[in-house]
Amino acid sequence: MSKIRFSDEARTKHASKCPPLAIVGGALMIISGLLSWSFDNRILGDISIRLYPAGIQLYAMMFGILGVILGVLLLRRPPWMSPARGLRILGITAIVFLVWVLGSIAIKTSGLINLNEGGWVALVGAALITLAGTLSPDVTIDVRKWPRLSSALEIVIIVVLMAVLLFVVAYTLDIQDGVIFASFLLAIIGMVGGLLGTGFGGYLGFISANNRRPLMLSALLVAFLFPFTQNGSDANMSIATQILIFAATALGLNIVVGLAGLLDLGYIAFLGTGAYVGAMLSNSAFSTVGWHPPFVVVMLVGAATAATFGLIIGTPTLRVSGDYLAIVTLGFGEIFRLAMFNLDGNNGPDLTNGPNGIPAIPDLKLFGFDFGAEHVIAGIPLGRFSNYYFLLLLLLMFVMLVFVRLNDSRIGRGWVAIREDERAAEAMGVNVFGLKLLAFAVGAFLAGLTGTIKAHQDTSVSPDQFIFLESAFLLAAVVLGGMGTVMGVLVGATILKLLPEKLREVNDYRLLMFGLLLVVMMRFRPEGLVPNKGRQLEFHEDDTELVELVQAVHLQEAK
Amino acid sequence: MDAFAQQLVNGLTLGSLYALIAVGYTVVYGIVQLINFAHGEIFMIGAFGALSVWLIFFQGNTALWVLPFMIIGAILASVTTAVLMERIAYRPLRNAPRLAPLITAIGISVFLQEAVRLFYGRMPFFDFPDAKQRVPFPQIAVVTGPAFEVAGVTIQRSAIFTIGCLLMSAAGLWFFVNRTKTGRGMQAVSQDPDTARLMGINVDRIIVVAFAVGATLAAVAGVAQGLQVTNINFRMGFLAGLKAFTAAVLGGIGNVWGAVVGGLTLGLVEAMAVQFIPGTFGGSPWKDVWAFGLLILVLVFRPQGILGAKVVDRA
Repeated sequence: MSKIRFSDEARTKHASKCPPLAIVGGALMIISGLLSWSFDNRILGDISIRLYPAGIQLYAMMFGILGVILGVLLLRRPPWMSPARGLRILGITAIVFLVWVLGSIAIKTSGLINLNEGGWVALVGAALITLAGTLSPDVTIDVRKWPRLSSALEIVIIVVLMAVLLFVVAYTLDIQDGVIFASFLLAIIGMVGGLLGTGFGGYLGFISANNRRPLMLSALLVAFLFPFTQNGSDANMSIATQILIFAATALGLNIVVGLAGLLDLGYIAFLGTGAYVGAMLSNSAFSTVGWHPPFVVVMLVGAATAATFGLIIGTPTLRVSGDYLAIVTLGFGEIFRLAMFNLDGNNGPDLTNGPNGIPAIPDLKLFGFDFGAEHVIAGIPLGRFSNYYFLLLLLLMFVMLVFVRLNDSRIGRGWVAIREDERAAEAMGVNVFGLKLLAFAVGAFLAGLTGTIKAHQDTSVSPDQFIFLESAFLLAAVVLGGMGTVMGVLVGATILKLLPEKLREVNDYRLLMFGLLLVVMMRFRPEGLVPNKGRQLEFHEDDTELVELVQAVHLQEAK
Repeated sequence: MDAFAQQLVNGLTLGSLYALIAVGYTVVYGIVQLINFAHGEIFMIGAFGALSVWLIFFQGNTALWVLPFMIIGAILASVTTAVLMERIAYRPLRNAPRLAPLITAIGISVFLQEAVRLFYGRMPFFDFPDAKQRVPFPQIAVVTGPAFEVAGVTIQRSAIFTIGCLLMSAAGLWFFVNRTKTGRGMQAVSQDPDTARLMGINVDRIIVVAFAVGATLAAVAGVAQGLQVTNINFRMGFLAGLKAFTAAVLGGIGNVWGAVVGGLTLGLVEAMAVQFIPGTFGGSPWKDVWAFGLLILVLVFRPQGILGAKVVDRA
């Protein structure tokens, strides 16, 4: 995107015209929301009525409001911000958004002729915003000029942002129409991208470094409150539990891939190990083992089994070059799937019922709490999936805790050293083999733990749940979000699980997109959507602005 | 003894296929130290390329003279894909951290599989069958048909074709690597890219050639596989690619002859495992497990492979 540039002279010459351009563009987009977009009132919610904005019109107005704000900021620029960059991102996403919306209207109503004035006004506004952003001269951000607010105010900012997050998530899940869902997502990308582009992201990182504890607490609160926004409906909760399982597994994989830099392509096998152990030791009528201990024991057995497999696979391969590990883990993933497929009594002992798997796994009952039943708390009914949601949330917190604690420890620093230069690390006295093995085993342990819960949540396990593509999805979540970060993986996992659920129209193209996504991410943004700043530096060593930002945040953390 | 001879033939056939694909892994690895994970897909696209040529020009015709055209079609499809892949996806990442190209490779692999699955049957102008299921592969006269019986051992015609392909490809490869200027350039680059550049070798071009050479052999393997199994599908590259990589490691990755030896060894081990491992863990359901088990064993006891190429460690 940064390729579309005007010459430096043109940009200095027209610098003064940019703020009004942006404000006018923003205003046009706000006005467009009040106009009619289509003659046809049956599509995309009703967007044919004037002065009554709905759905897509509201999103256009949001673009407009942010455009105006950034335009005003451009007029009186705070030294720590670069509104022009934000405008550029905002404008371009607004254009993409509008092309998508107008294209969908045209397809649904057979022809561009069915568009009303609103869409065109918005398009002009978006073009003006983009022009303003592109025509503004480049500025350097001075991160030392960040405003110093009282810590109470900073906490308020965090809490407000978290509340917005909860609202946005609940709202997003409520959208049923695929086209509106995609356009809302584009709008969100535009808003967030536009804000972060101004340098606001760095400031947020700075605030959250100041207030770690309130941040964590409010994030947790938001996550725990989420089921209460669903009014007992299980539809979204079922997706949410899927996301949590996926996120917890991906986070475990991130320890292996993101922190230690070991590419594990058979990670799903460790989840599978846990799931199969959970299923075999459960009270399912199809269980092949006579021992049915309490679930807490099952969890530990499942995790320990997975970790043992991790050690067995890791010990030989972690001694040789990293590329081999990728393929051996891939081979292991296949061995696992084939073994589960074959162990049906005809080929080897009967452990897994072969291709049929183990169905009818009963719901969990922990300390008298039945996970299958509906519970009413504060007047709001919470169904089966909500119960699992809370359990999985606890699990995710545990995985996050392990991740963060390991990363901040001597072990984590050892991993960074190995990831960057194995030989130098070894020369410095880092126990390379031991630490790699530890990463591998911890990753496997966490996946096994998740697997035991997954077995009960899904009520059945079968070999086809653990194919290679699942491992590739997990990897995609890690890569998309950002290797080595917690936030990134949560974002990546959410996107990868939520999009296919909501965009049924493109479900068939899901894998194609995932493949493309991996390639494009590696090419243009290898550090992921929500990068670890230090990690980002490893990919862009000559970015001085980034260096300054990282230093500023580090200094603040040290205080 | 009959069973042994029969499995020997089966193993050699399977092994020839692995060897043809494995060469692609090993040539690319020898030069850029990259595991081209998407190489299995190049093999698959070769098979589809041959099928396309047959469908467009020779539909219904199964005479032997059609086969060379199909092979040319396969090679064109594979080489084009491989070269584009190198140019678009791998080249920009040449100085990136090691993980990046590997992840890209997985992405390409998934992308190519899905592209064939979704779009092969929907191409404009051509009336191709839908590739979401298996697609029948034309059975060319002479190289398919009734099997030979030699002293109680059944030898399929397609097996002879596959082994013949390997022999011819190996001879061609030997000539190319040792007797042509480009081939010697490849040797030089694999030994020391920086010095090779100073000696006036165009390293970028050599890398493209390496991808193209691997793709050519994979395309031939794709045709051989189609003739043998009588149908092809978009997933055929995954397992074949994985096995071929195992073969390349087995023989010593980076060493072209290692790939051939490794491929044949792996094929033989698999065939013998089916026949001679007693009890419920024998037989074909477990043969893949034994093949990957062999890979792990090799990495434990002889990571440099059978032919012991130097292990390039630039991690």
